[in-house]
Amino acid sequence: MQSLNVAQNGIWYLRECLQYYTGACAYFVLYAAALVYVCVKGSRREKEIFIPCSVFLLVTVYNPVSPVLLDRFFDVNSEYYRFFWLLPVIVLIPYLAAKLIMTRTDAGQRIVVSVLIAAILLSSGKFVYADGIKLAQNIYKMPPELMEVSRLIHEDSDVEYPKAFLEYEYNMQMRQYDPKMQLTIDREDYLYVITNEYTDEMLNDETHPQYRLLAELIKLRDVDMDAFVDALETSKTEYVVLIKDHPRIGYLEEAGLTKVAETEGHVIYKYDVKEPYIFELVDYSVVY
Amino acid sequence: MLIVLLGVICNFIIYLAFGSLIIMPFKKRREGAACPLMLSVVTGFFFYYFVFFFVCVPPMQYYRPLSMLTGIWVPVVAVLVLLSAVLNGKQWIKWFKSALAYIGRNPAVTVLMALLLMIQVVLVSYTYNFTLDAAYYVANVATSVETNMMNVYDPFTGAWQDHYEMRYFFATYSMQDSVVCQLTGIPALIWTKSVMAITIILLTNMVYIMIARELIVYKNGRKAGVDADADDRKNGVGVASDDRKEIMGNPELATVIMAAIMFVVNLTFITIYTSSLFLMTRTYEGKAIVGNLAVMTLFYLFIRMNDESINVRPWLITFIVCFGAATISSSANMLLPVELTVLFIPMIVRKKKWNMLLKYAACVVPGIVFSLVFVLYVKGYFVLYTFPK
Repeated sequence: MQSLNVAQNGIWYLRECLQYYTGACAYFVLYAAALVYVCVKGSRREKEIFIPCSVFLLVTVYNPVSPVLLDRFFDVNSEYYRFFWLLPVIVLIPYLAAKLIMTRTDAGQRIVVSVLIAAILLSSGKFVYADGIKLAQNIYKMPPELMEVSRLIHEDSDVEYPKAFLEYEYNMQMRQYDPKMQLTIDREDYLYVITNEYTDEMLNDETHPQYRLLAELIKLRDVDMDAFVDALETSKTEYVVLIKDHPRIGYLEEAGLTKVAETEGHVIYKYDVKEPYIFELVDYSVVY
Repeated sequence: MLIVLLGVICNFIIYLAFGSLIIMPFKKRREGAACPLMLSVVTGFFFYYFVFFFVCVPPMQYYRPLSMLTGIWVPVVAVLVLLSAVLNGKQWIKWFKSALAYIGRNPAVTVLMALLLMIQVVLVSYTYNFTLDAAYYVANVATSVETNMMNVYDPFTGAWQDHYEMRYFFATYSMQDSVVCQLTGIPALIWTKSVMAITIILLTNMVYIMIARELIVYKNGRKAGVDADADDRKNGVGVASDDRKEIMGNPELATVIMAAIMFVVNLTFITIYTSSLFLMTRTYEGKAIVGNLAVMTLFYLFIRMNDESINVRPWLITFIVCFGAATISSSANMLLPVELTVLFIPMIVRKKKWNMLLKYAACVVPGIVFSLVFVLYVKGYFVLYTFPK
């Protein structure tokens, strides 16, 4: 939860966190109802198993004060929601549902109860494939076009480890498939660019020339062309891969990059680095 | 696909062998542990990563190549699997015979359960999911194999790092993937997103089945040799027997129904933060393993210890699960100590078994130590460099 902050929300952080966590799902409400059922009608064993841990969670990590206290020692902002994983929702609700079904003696009643339970569960949450099941197109589970981009860059490059600037999704996926591809942009830098603006101070930061590339190509800010080319040069970025209808295609050509290949949806531009830098693996043989 | 299938089978054989080393010596002495086969496999999974951690960290800390780790790890696994086969081979045959007999007795239930598992296997192995953390989990494996080094190169960019990122240093799970990929030549993407995804979804379902059976087929085992019905009657409750009577009509079917409903919950309890989403779409990632498999395994052990129906050194298994999970993802360092506390402290207090406090503390220690080391690193007290300084 990158967008939630304990310092800003104080004791309301937990409530916000819970809202983010559950979204439109009503499973926590079902869980609370199940707990009430166990309290009232449950056996001693059921109470022993489900009640103490839920109560203990409520007074410890689900206590609104806890994240505030913990945040003084650890940065819990982005990970506190994981404490909700500890609530045995996945056990208690199915257990009581199975019990409700199996304690019906009549087959017809079992079917009716099963249908009711299915309806309650399905309407209480959001289906994981609500937007449709996307089947992997190959055994690598990678977009075939990404694999083609990798091949085309290696075919064109004179070095074993070419360096590239890629659009967001390819940047996150490329090195899973092709660890020989060096990337200009770090994951965190890309995540930052999505939620933040670039300040002039950042754009003038000599130690992070990649900020200028992100500002121009992702945030579509107007970056001085010389500064942009300098960023390519200092970051030793040889290839830039963008979608075909990217609004900065003309800008790249104006900046002197040349198109070396294209795929169905992407175009690969090359920048001739003035002072070539050949990436080599560190030689550890001198150590051992 | 054959490679994937073989990979999954090999994983389960290794986990069974490792787990049997923990379970069997005690199982032989006292009979009565339910689901010993599945418990062995699940325990073996965590024990495997527990042992791997100790073999992996020293060469990694001294920036030795991945191939050296592979050279050490393969004989270790071979010896332990062989040792386990010699010690436990007969028991394995008994288990499999009994599993076959179970299938013979319950063909319909077996088919239903197999269908349930098959659907989940197909879903996690054939679907495409874009996740940001794969940029670490998978790329780190691919990078380690490509560079023949461990955690030395940045998986996100490929650049050399002058020091180890301590957030990942103790989570040696992905290094194990690297070892296998280097050894077998299987690409990192196939190993992680198919072989490990299938392995984890099956293991998680095993734990679900174990939990379902414990809850549904409750045998009056509050204490070995003590009749829980009588115990409950004495306490004026008489509910343990009610639990059993209500559901024992067809406990096998009830187990399948509960497992199926668990699957439905996992399919529908979906926001980008829920453990169900992690399980269904990011199955092979360390966080998904901790948030589902490890958390549920501890819950299972808690039920067994609460019922006092486990006689195969439950605290040793608990310790191995906690330590093993900490070597899979650093998320375990904050989650499992809390889970242990909320589950076991009330139980210890209720049962007044104060000697358990020490065992509980021992299980909490790995997570706390790893967390403290990380805090010291973040505060700048130490750095582990990737090259001699």
